[in-house]
Amino acid sequence: MFSQQVAESALEATAGALCPTNLRVGADLVEVEQVASSMARFGDRYVRRVYTDHEVSCCRGEPSVVAAGLAGRFAAKEAAIKVLRPSDARPDWRSIEVRRHPTGWCELRLTGEAKRLSDEAGIRSMAVSLSHEAGLAGAVVVAMCDRPET
Amino acid sequence: MDEQIRSVLAEHGRFPVDVATLDDRADLYQAGMTSHASVSVMLALEDAFDIEFPERMLRKSTFESVAAIREALTELCATAVE
Repeated sequence: MFSQQVAESALEATAGALCPTNLRVGADLVEVEQVASSMARFGDRYVRRVYTDHEVSCCRGEPSVVAAGLAGRFAAKEAAIKVLRPSDARPDWRSIEVRRHPTGWCELRLTGEAKRLSDEAGIRSMAVSLSHEAGLAGAVVVAMCDRPET
Repeated sequence: MDEQIRSVLAEHGRFPVDVATLDDRADLYQAGMTSHASVSVMLALEDAFDIEFPERMLRKSTFESVAAIREALTELCATAVE
């Protein structure tokens, strides 16, 4: 009984502490095998529908290496969509591009509907990080808006 | 049409449950279809029905249930025949 009261008080205190933020974060995980399977089944049609020329050019080598690279990029696109928060229509996957710099780090470039959603939300900067582990590719996207969420 | 849709979903949707048990209006994302699986479902539907989903239909709601997919395909197939 006492612990329940403590828990309820803690919840109320937390609820009272919630405040608008101008940060947005999105994260996503993709199984590399799912991408490899789509590549094998749909080939170039799958790749061209989802990834940009730059992204494809960054993912070369053995099919398993290509699949891992593309899986990371798909995770980044989905993480970015979580940040952009479309109400229904999702931006074309290619309108969210993972640009890789020669030194290896990545950033996002938005065009079309993705850029429109970003502008609408007042997003002034966005950062992405990709990671791979045990058959999974993950990505986190953080964005800073010029005004808190209302 | 429903049989073909369910067959595509069973092959490409990667559901943790039997697709046959899902209601026509059941939310496919809540039933376990991932965003990436929905891409494969879209491409497989295009193969099965010889159509192409236009950009305006690339909405989460287009693929959220068997009924929603049927509605989209009905529209696309009718357009293809015209």
